[in-house]
Amino acid sequence: MATFLTRRIIQMFVVLIASALVSFGLLYIAPGGPMSGLRQGQNSGRNKISSEDILRIKERFELDLYIPYRFSRWLIGFPAGPITIAGHALLGNTVVGCAIPGQARLRYPDGHTEIIEDGCQQEVTIADLSSRRTSHGILFGDFGLSQVILRDRPIATLIASRLPYTLQLMGVSSLLALLIGVPLGVYSAVRQYSRFDYTMTTISFIGSSIPTFVIGIICILIFAIAAKEAGLPFLPPGNAVANSDYVMPFIGDVVAESSLDRFLHFVMPCGVLVFVNIAGYSRFIRSGMLEVLRLDYVRTARAKGLQERTVVLKHALRNAMLPFITIMAGVLAELFGGAAITESIFNWPGLGRLLVDSIGRNDYSVAMALTMVSIFLLLIGYLITDILYSILDPRIRLS
Amino acid sequence: MTIPTSRPASQSELIWRRFRKHTVAMVCLLILITIYVGSMLAPWIAPYHRDVISLGNAYTTPFHTAADGSYHFFGTDHLGRDLFTRLIYAARVSLTTALTVVTISTMIGVIIGLVAGYFGGWIDNLVTRLIEFISTFPTFTLLLIASAIVIQNSEAIPIPAFFSAITGAVMAISPREANQVILIITIFIMLGWTGVARFVRGMVLSIREQQYVESSRALGASHFYNMFIHVLPNAMPPIIISYTLGLSGTLVAESGLSFLGFGIQDPTPSWGNMLAFANSYMFSYPWMPLVPALPILVCSLAINYIGDGLRDALDPRVQTEIRRAQRVAQLAAIRERSNPQS
Repeated sequence: MATFLTRRIIQMFVVLIASALVSFGLLYIAPGGPMSGLRQGQNSGRNKISSEDILRIKERFELDLYIPYRFSRWLIGFPAGPITIAGHALLGNTVVGCAIPGQARLRYPDGHTEIIEDGCQQEVTIADLSSRRTSHGILFGDFGLSQVILRDRPIATLIASRLPYTLQLMGVSSLLALLIGVPLGVYSAVRQYSRFDYTMTTISFIGSSIPTFVIGIICILIFAIAAKEAGLPFLPPGNAVANSDYVMPFIGDVVAESSLDRFLHFVMPCGVLVFVNIAGYSRFIRSGMLEVLRLDYVRTARAKGLQERTVVLKHALRNAMLPFITIMAGVLAELFGGAAITESIFNWPGLGRLLVDSIGRNDYSVAMALTMVSIFLLLIGYLITDILYSILDPRIRLS
Repeated sequence: MTIPTSRPASQSELIWRRFRKHTVAMVCLLILITIYVGSMLAPWIAPYHRDVISLGNAYTTPFHTAADGSYHFFGTDHLGRDLFTRLIYAARVSLTTALTVVTISTMIGVIIGLVAGYFGGWIDNLVTRLIEFISTFPTFTLLLIASAIVIQNSEAIPIPAFFSAITGAVMAISPREANQVILIITIFIMLGWTGVARFVRGMVLSIREQQYVESSRALGASHFYNMFIHVLPNAMPPIIISYTLGLSGTLVAESGLSFLGFGIQDPTPSWGNMLAFANSYMFSYPWMPLVPALPILVCSLAINYIGDGLRDALDPRVQTEIRRAQRVAQLAAIRERSNPQS
């Protein structure tokens, strides 16, 4: 077990670094970023941006550093400045970036000239870094600053303000889906080909075929728009809380930000997620149960005279649940990652929508932070499921 | 009356015979073929031009005449473009994208899985590690980031004019629009082959130990011949199932991506981006999102029903394998949901 754990943790670490490299690389080649808006407004007279401004902004977002240094500063916060050993600053003169690129004029034989970047006019050395704000590195939980959405504010604040909403939505919906989906799957497997089974199979088939955003939009059409027009109690179509008080038929006034208001806003996004997940879970459990119920040891258990209940729940379900645990690997990442599409439809201020927003508005430091967190949680989830697997299934030895 | 033939029915004839008995699946297949063939005939069927904007006609209700007296079967969008016309063209884009992605990524996955499982050793090790590595990525997040990048500088990534010309011709879009679609397709393929490769490898591992493979080797057959003549056909049923499941998965993922604004971009119509536009007008015009939602719903249901019919029709001897492949695909689908897709 100990060797397995050490090996897995080392493996996880390697994967984490590699995926950090990939996501950093992807976002590095992405267009936009803090400079793009400035370049457009650069020539507009009064607000003309001076070259000092550009230098300052480049410095703030570390755009003047070479990529390997940027990556390592982002990942582990190194180098933060000269290394001081016994009072001597070492490596202070190492060049790590270029603040003002040099220019060279190329003259072509046919007469036209072109200006290209060549060499460096003003270099950045490690000694210059000590005066900057240095992140402690994303590996140690310092996500850095947001560039667009909350300009210059720490990403951690941004995430912290969204996290409760995502935790609430994903936590409640996953729990409900599990509590409803698993029993439904078991029941329709035990009563295979009964009317209940047919209805259940059809509903879950439809539920897992239709994309979430279509279900979400149809729900808004029915429960928010149509219900409101019909004068029935309706559900608010978006956001987590209302801006102002509103009147609900049969219920009366709803005070904005009251718990009733929060609950009404919560019902629809949660309901959609629960429905979709129930469909997936119950289908999966049903097919797993059907396979297991046919096996010899179940017949043996019945032949021993055990109660049907014990046979199903203790002997069959336990084995049918095994593949199901693999699904649970994602739940951890899901809890903290949110559901991008559902949150976007219902305007739910969670982390999933934050991810979509940050990518759409070129706030790459936020997108990178969210990606790293979700990869990290996914890896932890895989580790936990592997350990759980070996506990629940003694046939599997970790090695 | 059946005419006795000297030749016994081939495997595919048997499957087709069993599949035909599955009424729902047959109907679904017909619907899907009709939609796709119809979309291929778009220039002749479509009553209006795809992109012609006439603001005076905007928001015409379905089955009504617009302000200037023109009749619009499915109404018009916020720019007065005929929705029926755009739906047909979008079918061409969305369905062709899904078909291309799943066909190519299945082919890549099958070949890689086949080679890895058949030869084993270091190749197998390498492939397994690579697949494991790719599957730790949150796919949907990566898809979002990658398509955000390629959409914003689609000129920066060179695509041979030949490809964009062909894609443009098949999807009835301009080469510039085709470039974006090709980039989206490429991203999907790069992230999509791993699932197929994984289960094909698993199946091949057991098939290559069968005696007929061994005896074929003993008779002097080459590895290449063995892989494609003996091993691959026996791994085929689950591959077919995962193909159909992949088709609906890609269709949904593409429309989801376009819905969020990171997939196919307006004015190229896709069901996803049409739905996204309709979504922002749904409070004034509640019928609007139903128009693009309907084909997404119909197609994803139809493909899934076809998959269901195929599963029952495929060789009963390998039903366990098929069910296993199906569960792998289901697992992948549920897992994908746990990435912030849903």
